[in-house]
Amino acid sequence: MKKSIIDELVSIFGQENVLTEREDMIAYSYDAAPVEIEPEAVVFPTTTEQVSKLMKMAYREEIPVTPRGQGSGLSGGSIPLKKGIVLSMDKMKKMIEFDPNNRLITVEAGFTTSDIDPIVSEANLFYPPDPGSVAFSTIGGNVAENAGGLRGLKYGVTKNYVKMLKVVLPQGDIVTVGSKCVKHVAGFNSELIFVGSEGLLGIMTEVTLALLPIPQHRESALAIFNSLDSAAQAVSDIIAAGVTPSTMEFMDNATINAVQNFKDCGLPRDAEAVLLIETDGEMNSAKWEMSVIEEQVKKNDIREFQRAQNTAERDALFAGRRVALNALASVKPNLILEDATVKRSVLPDMVRGITAIAKKHNVQVGIFGHAGDGNLHPTFLIDQSDKEEMARCHKAVDELFQLAIDLDGTISGEHGIGLEKKPYLKNQIGDAGIKMLQDMKRMFDPKNLLNPGKMFDMPGEAA
Amino acid sequence: MNAHISQKQLAEQHLLEATKEFQKCMQCGKCRSVCPVFKEFGNELFVARGKNKIAQKLVSGDLQITKRVEQAINECLNCKTCSANCPAGVKPENVVLRMRWYITTQRGLHFFKALIFRQLLWRKWPITLGCAIVGIAQKVLFGIGPKNPVRHLFPLFGFSKRRNFPQLAIRSAQSMLPEVSPAKNGPRKARIGYFTGCAGNLIYTNVAKSVVDILTGYGYEVVIPKAQKCNGTPVLANGDYEGAKRLMVHNFELFQKYDLDAIVVACSSCGMSLKKEIKVFIDDSPELQEFTSKVFDINEFIEKNLEIKPEQLSRLPYKVTYHDPCHMVRGQGIKDQPRNLLKMIPGVEFTEMKNADTCCGSAGSYCITHYDTSIKINNHKIKDIQEANVNMVATGCPTCVMHIADNLAQHNSHEKTRFVVELLADSMRAAGTI
Ligand SMILES: Cc1cc2nc3c(=O)[nH]c(=O)nc-3n(C[C@H](O)[C@H](O)[C@H](O)COP(=O)(O)OP(=O)(O)OC[C@H]3O[C@@H](n4cnc5c(N)ncnc54)[C@H](O)[C@@H]3O)c2cc1C
Ligand code: SF4
Ligand code: SF4
Repeated sequence: MKKSIIDELVSIFGQENVLTEREDMIAYSYDAAPVEIEPEAVVFPTTTEQVSKLMKMAYREEIPVTPRGQGSGLSGGSIPLKKGIVLSMDKMKKMIEFDPNNRLITVEAGFTTSDIDPIVSEANLFYPPDPGSVAFSTIGGNVAENAGGLRGLKYGVTKNYVKMLKVVLPQGDIVTVGSKCVKHVAGFNSELIFVGSEGLLGIMTEVTLALLPIPQHRESALAIFNSLDSAAQAVSDIIAAGVTPSTMEFMDNATINAVQNFKDCGLPRDAEAVLLIETDGEMNSAKWEMSVIEEQVKKNDIREFQRAQNTAERDALFAGRRVALNALASVKPNLILEDATVKRSVLPDMVRGITAIAKKHNVQVGIFGHAGDGNLHPTFLIDQSDKEEMARCHKAVDELFQLAIDLDGTISGEHGIGLEKKPYLKNQIGDAGIKMLQDMKRMFDPKNLLNPGKMFDMPGEAA
Repeated sequence: MNAHISQKQLAEQHLLEATKEFQKCMQCGKCRSVCPVFKEFGNELFVARGKNKIAQKLVSGDLQITKRVEQAINECLNCKTCSANCPAGVKPENVVLRMRWYITTQRGLHFFKALIFRQLLWRKWPITLGCAIVGIAQKVLFGIGPKNPVRHLFPLFGFSKRRNFPQLAIRSAQSMLPEVSPAKNGPRKARIGYFTGCAGNLIYTNVAKSVVDILTGYGYEVVIPKAQKCNGTPVLANGDYEGAKRLMVHNFELFQKYDLDAIVVACSSCGMSLKKEIKVFIDDSPELQEFTSKVFDINEFIEKNLEIKPEQLSRLPYKVTYHDPCHMVRGQGIKDQPRNLLKMIPGVEFTEMKNADTCCGSAGSYCITHYDTSIKINNHKIKDIQEANVNMVATGCPTCVMHIADNLAQHNSHEKTRFVVELLADSMRAAGTI
């Protein structure tokens, strides 16, 4: 990078907030996806104005800029594909305003998601979206990926909580979109354009989120099934009976065995599936909902239904699910975690399809995930140094995505497209869908400098 | 014990072992939320996954050893918080140690470190003598208060001027205590070896005395092999694989000669190294397995074996909290035992402080080489101690005691810093038990 540009970066951000040494570039060349590209500089803004100045400079000098939260993304969104500058939000992590009366909190975009609850719980409020990475992902990153969590079925995902955003547009303009009011129709529903935009349309610097009152009571149970179909049927029956559990987590036989090998969590190795179910709300209604669930679940081929009587028992029931990823990770040196999602009605087809694909390509797979919202995490267990196995795994992943599309589902439920799923997006949304995204991108970022090359290629760009 | 291994083979071995470890990293970033060094720097180069990545690049040859590389590798407390929380079971601190050892095979050991680790610590007497001289000087100079001009000399020895040192021993514990202390109050229950560690020998001699008094008072014979040397922790942490190995082999062979039923330590790092780290340096054998299975932290040993009756303890009017040393809680899985001992003492009002198991930043020699960062890390600990509203912090690691006491003094904070065994011994002495 030219010295004059580095000097300008230093004048905008201060010496301590600009990195250019090779070793530091390596440290910002990757996220949780297996791709690596070194940027030429990393900057740490502390104000929205600095971000705006950066983008004006980037536009003048035609330098690509890639926003980065905590780099926990699984689709490679924060990797600087075209090199240039990585803009790390790590130093914009202040809480700006907590407004319990309106059940809102406003934070800088680099704020860590799990830091919200300790603040707002004092007013008996909570922030529902709880991705597995809550303790190491930013609100900005959550908004950019429209992150989900365990409670999606009842509480929705990030987009359901975004009220207002301060955004620096690619050419440096600062806009505030959305409103703190419960209702607002002034202009397009523009805050939602940025939700799931994967850092392609603007840089969020401040986010106002809606909060909910903490449910008074929680009921938890573990259901162990003899067959996959009975587990899936139980999910359908529960929904059909008119209850909405806050959590309905699924683990397949391979995951159960990985868990038991890792740590004895009391799960029977020959069970085909388990569901961890929670209801919450006013005490009587949470209890009533759980009794309806028990009734529905027991109509199926079930081995056991355990209800937790207290927190210790609840923790014991959830022990297996909590260590599921760790357990799968310990089976082989590496893993590839996918998030293909289908309607919950076709969940058994999806699970069976994935198992068949894995078998066909002779790769190990464990499936766990959020059964209530159809978002599964098929996790391929691999050894990256085994090139031949990697090739087989890639084929399996290709077929997995096609299966999701064929079942009328989506290639990504929460991790985003980024680099990892870019080749598959067209299969899902078609040429016209891609063209619409390209047109929108061009309108916001005519020179294609903000996080270029992610999600889709611009016309004329090499695939 | 592959004695004739060449530097080249050694280098390859370190790279191979590091690779086995960092290969497992999923780059998820969870270590960002727990690494104390990353919290201070806010630069991913210093977080566990950044260190894994730097090691990967060194191994692949895509990166050479540079100043910045060494800085990244040296900014690590070996606190094991990353590995305790890592979903993929990676032990990044082991990658760091391997890379430090590897760098030494390429760059050689700094003259000053070679002098300390391979000459002074090995010969032992110069260190003992040096401590005695400094100890006398400290007495003569009335301790070294914040305004004392002697402080201007500290930087000559690599120490910050702000630093508060504990009183060094004019007479070492090993010279004060006999090699064999017979069991008291009845027939001998067992023969226990005591590995004093340098700090127990040269600084916290009252801890050594407490260990011997408690064990003999409860019917154990205590043997302190006089030829014992440093366990190697500071040596291996500073990149000297071979120096550490020489010390480990020495102590391993020495303690085997004494026909011991158990070996106790009153230092978290000594305990971890004699139980676990030694396995990295000495090939597996039935003897080694027997040796490591005999090692116990003093808190662990007392809690498990001594039948302490309420009337054997006298009241101590303290409000106490406990700080978990990294090498005790994550290094050896010892968490409840010291707390149980504290709660046993009548009069002790125990309060659990917040974040009791986060690193205090001392990390052995890290707080000498990286004083400013180590104090920044420690400031969080001071805040948690102050919020606990106690008048004493008990723990089980000399460097934690030293570092916390230093920073409490810099904060003009009134809390005292003690070892759990010291408090227990005080209570037993006052009751006439020992
Ligand atoms: C172990 C593990 C578990 C996970 N569990 C879940 C889960 O349960 N649910 C889920 O949805 N995801 C999950 N994820 C994925 C990931 O944590 C989420 O995508 C998260 O939202 C990313 O946040 P981040 O701060 O790390 O962003 P990064 O990974 O740094 O960035 C993600 C994208 O957002 C963009 N971006 C970041 N900040 C901004 C900003 N301020 N303005 C504009 N663009 C920005 C980046 O350019 C990039 O494209 C998991 C990841 C891991 C490693
Ligand atoms: S927590 Fe473990 S797997 Fe995740 S990035 Fe850190 S070292 Fe790697
Ligand atoms: S051992 Fe401690 S300091 Fe070192 S990388 Fe792990 S968490 Fe950070």
